[in-house]
Amino acid sequence: MSRIETPADLARLRDQAVARRNSRGTWVAVCAGTGCRAYGAEALAESLEKEVEKRGLGKKIGVRKTGCHGFCERGPLVVVQPSDVCYLGAQPKNVPAIVDKLEGKDAALDKLLYVDAENGKPLARLDEIPFYKHQQRVVLGDNVHIDASDILDYIAVGGYAALAKALSGMTPEEVLQEVKEAKLRGRGGGGFPAGRKWETTRKAPGEPKYVIVNADEGDPGAYMDRSILEGNPHGVLEGLILGAYAIGAGEGFIYVRQEYPLAREHAQKALDQAREYGLLGENILGSGFSFDVKIHRGAGAFVSGESSALMSAIEGHVGEPRPKYIHTSEKGVWGKPSCLNNVETWANVPHIINRGAEWFTGMGTEGSKGTKIFSLVGKVNNTGLVEVPMGITLRDIIFKIGGGVPGGKKFKAVQTGGPSGGVIPESMLDLPVDFDELTRVGSMMGSGGMIVMDENTCMVDTARYYMSFLAHESCGKCVPCREGTRQMLRILDRIVAGEGKEEDLAVLEELGDFMEDASLCALGQSAPFPVLSTLKYFRGEYEEHIREKRCRAGVCTPLIAYDIDQETCGKCGACLRACPVAAVDQSADKVFTILQEKCIKCGACFTACPEKFSAVIKVPAYAIGKPSAGNPPPAGKQV
Amino acid sequence: MNTRKPVAGEQPAEGPLDVLIIDGEEAFAAACRRTLEHAGFRVATSGTAGQGLALAETRHPGVVLLALELPDMPGAEALGALSRQAPAAVPVVASAHGTVDAAVESMKLGAFDFLAKPVGAEKLVETVRRGLNLSVLRKEAAGPGAAGAQAPDKYDLLLQGLDVLGEAYSLGLEKRQLLDELTWLENEAKYHAESLGQIKKKERVILDIRNDLLESDVIMRRYDFHKNALIQVLLDVQEKFRWLPRHVLNWISGRLNIPVRDIYTIAHFYEAFSLEPRGRHIVQVCTGTACHVRGASELLTRISATLGVKPGETDARQAFTLETVHCIGCCALAPVVQIDSRYHRNPSKSQFEKIIQSLEKEEVDTCPA
Repeated sequence: MSRIETPADLARLRDQAVARRNSRGTWVAVCAGTGCRAYGAEALAESLEKEVEKRGLGKKIGVRKTGCHGFCERGPLVVVQPSDVCYLGAQPKNVPAIVDKLEGKDAALDKLLYVDAENGKPLARLDEIPFYKHQQRVVLGDNVHIDASDILDYIAVGGYAALAKALSGMTPEEVLQEVKEAKLRGRGGGGFPAGRKWETTRKAPGEPKYVIVNADEGDPGAYMDRSILEGNPHGVLEGLILGAYAIGAGEGFIYVRQEYPLAREHAQKALDQAREYGLLGENILGSGFSFDVKIHRGAGAFVSGESSALMSAIEGHVGEPRPKYIHTSEKGVWGKPSCLNNVETWANVPHIINRGAEWFTGMGTEGSKGTKIFSLVGKVNNTGLVEVPMGITLRDIIFKIGGGVPGGKKFKAVQTGGPSGGVIPESMLDLPVDFDELTRVGSMMGSGGMIVMDENTCMVDTARYYMSFLAHESCGKCVPCREGTRQMLRILDRIVAGEGKEEDLAVLEELGDFMEDASLCALGQSAPFPVLSTLKYFRGEYEEHIREKRCRAGVCTPLIAYDIDQETCGKCGACLRACPVAAVDQSADKVFTILQEKCIKCGACFTACPEKFSAVIKVPAYAIGKPSAGNPPPAGKQV
Repeated sequence: MNTRKPVAGEQPAEGPLDVLIIDGEEAFAAACRRTLEHAGFRVATSGTAGQGLALAETRHPGVVLLALELPDMPGAEALGALSRQAPAAVPVVASAHGTVDAAVESMKLGAFDFLAKPVGAEKLVETVRRGLNLSVLRKEAAGPGAAGAQAPDKYDLLLQGLDVLGEAYSLGLEKRQLLDELTWLENEAKYHAESLGQIKKKERVILDIRNDLLESDVIMRRYDFHKNALIQVLLDVQEKFRWLPRHVLNWISGRLNIPVRDIYTIAHFYEAFSLEPRGRHIVQVCTGTACHVRGASELLTRISATLGVKPGETDARQAFTLETVHCIGCCALAPVVQIDSRYHRNPSKSQFEKIIQSLEKEEVDTCPA
């Protein structure tokens, strides 16, 4: 294939790509995102291809491996186009039936369809399934339609049209103006207006200028950046090229976590193909604008996602932040003006250029425009990636799209913003989700992790979890963060071990306030938020741990013990087989007991015990050995 | 040397070769071949590194004339692969971009000589002849079984030593310095073998470390020996060796002119690096938030008990390393464990044991012995 020299060339290429797609009447899109791969999506795609080939349908039916469709809970996902019929949890054994159906024959595929929870009716089409119905998929929308490793697929769905439009008919100032008017805010966490950042870099003295994609998605529990880069790398790249044009940058970087090998592979492939077609390199589309991109792998450090730390890592140094008296947008990589935005932010740019700022500002709230992708995970029925317009309520996301909490458990809280965010209790579920509202209630938007917690999640443990993460990831450069996270962790460790003191809570709050004011970078400044917000909304749980040595969720292992209720025990021995340390004792008369001194509290017996018996129970640790001493009676599985 | 005059254009189909030409530029390769065949050598050509390396392994050429510009592999990488796959072959590098840098780098990577294209016939034949002499020495050094079967004696080594000494002086290096550095490298090699608890012959220890250093050169070459690429280089080293051995870090420090202290700072800072040998299989329990609320710590306790190692440790047989990782982006499968490159959703004790057993079986099946 030769280089694309002009926008007209691109249009011709698009016609060819569309014709190639249309040559087959039906396409089967198999999700090959990381989640579905883990369910065996690759074997499924392969067996679909073979079956189609075997029946001589290769000219009519195409099989396409695409990026993440979002509904990860029910993978592997298959969507038939153009009918948009969606099969969930498909396995290679279902392939003959699926192909039968494609041929127009009758096939029993109902068990692969989504079943409406309310009336038990199957819902076949993607847009009927509640998980998708309430979403507005702008950035993720193309994932279902393209094979990430093929640039022609992206071009066929309108890819690089925004670039052609900008390079042939807009000045860099006009591109910048459009993004400013769209009021696009950074999707990585802080929500800083992207247009203003671009402008700062554009106006900053110094050459060359750099543009950077931050794909160091360190927030544990968020994976939207991974899925965008894996599923639609050209979308991100097109945004980056547009940004470079607007800013006047000649070189760009994509900083990808080493933990995301597939994202890196797809990004590399996208760069190679774009270069081959002349969409990167010298004189792009005959405009005289030249730009190229390199990939830099992160080596695993949460703080490296911070702008100055990330740039330091690109230079080959330790990824530690520096004081930002001067912003990186003015002095970044090698002291040159460098504009850093995260994956989702860049991926929004082509849409804004294509459809205009007015369309973009038509979505969202006063302060936050457009859509936002959340990774809806934790104790929720429909786990996955959801893209919703800003301003939707938390209740809609968790209950309408997410389908509520599984197992009839009671919703407790939702955590947003990752380690820098906080928890939001049930009373605030009607809060419209946007940058400012979430900050107002003591959490933050962050990169979009949304972790649902139910009655079996302990809030003290959650706070301790985040603090242990942050204490580990603190780079140690500034004292407030290094010592603050450590001391907070020590206190929390004590509380979950049942050794908390009355005055601990006040110390936590005091330390938190201090860290917020005095830390060098956002990691330390926001580190106390998970603790402070759980303290604010769930103080009672902390007090129970301290005063009663009790963990009501049954999570804090030092405070609980496992026991077998002899009255309900079915003597099946499942617990005995599941125990990795032989702590279940079987005496001669078929009585199973747990040897407390051997037990490592891994919960294997608890999980293994059949639902009908539910004989393995969690009891407060203090209750063991003195059954009728006036302690609360042991509760069943619902503890 | 073979005296049979081969028919021009005919590839000698089997038997040992004197010269193998690996060059994508057909006209140049053909011209060289004619010249060399005319001089009485047995010559074969290959247009790609892939095919060429395979030929080098099976046909034991004395000299390999290798182009730096190859269609399927960077020349530097091909050079590294060649020294591994056909250690007795003497590589001569040819390039149309005959810069001093390219020449020096090729020599550093073990090339015997560097020819700038176009190459005169006389110069070509003379270089190949010298290379073949060395190759006879090398084949002998490789011990019985290789061509020749006569070990080099002290006097052969003295000749090679003189070569080395001469080159050292031309670089402005004193003999003392050279000896110091060699002794230091030898000590590194001993330390390495000892720290792994391996008992090996002295010569094996030296050759092992030499190969490690060559490997790391190949890696650094990918980034043009650029200082700024340190993290990328270390990531590749980690991938190649499964950890960062001390001698390799010291070598990189010298090559890239970065203080060892800085390299260790980076190695300690990032999660991806390990300063201790890791097992052949990596078991990573995700402790991201989504996994945590769905029982990751219980999964970790269970796996740790089953494997008999704590997080961060490797079992005695160096088979499995257990680690925790902060989110691998598979939150919908929570809690999840990644074993090598595969993801598993909350395996029970027996499911996990099955996975481990199948990995161990695979190992036994693929083991050459």
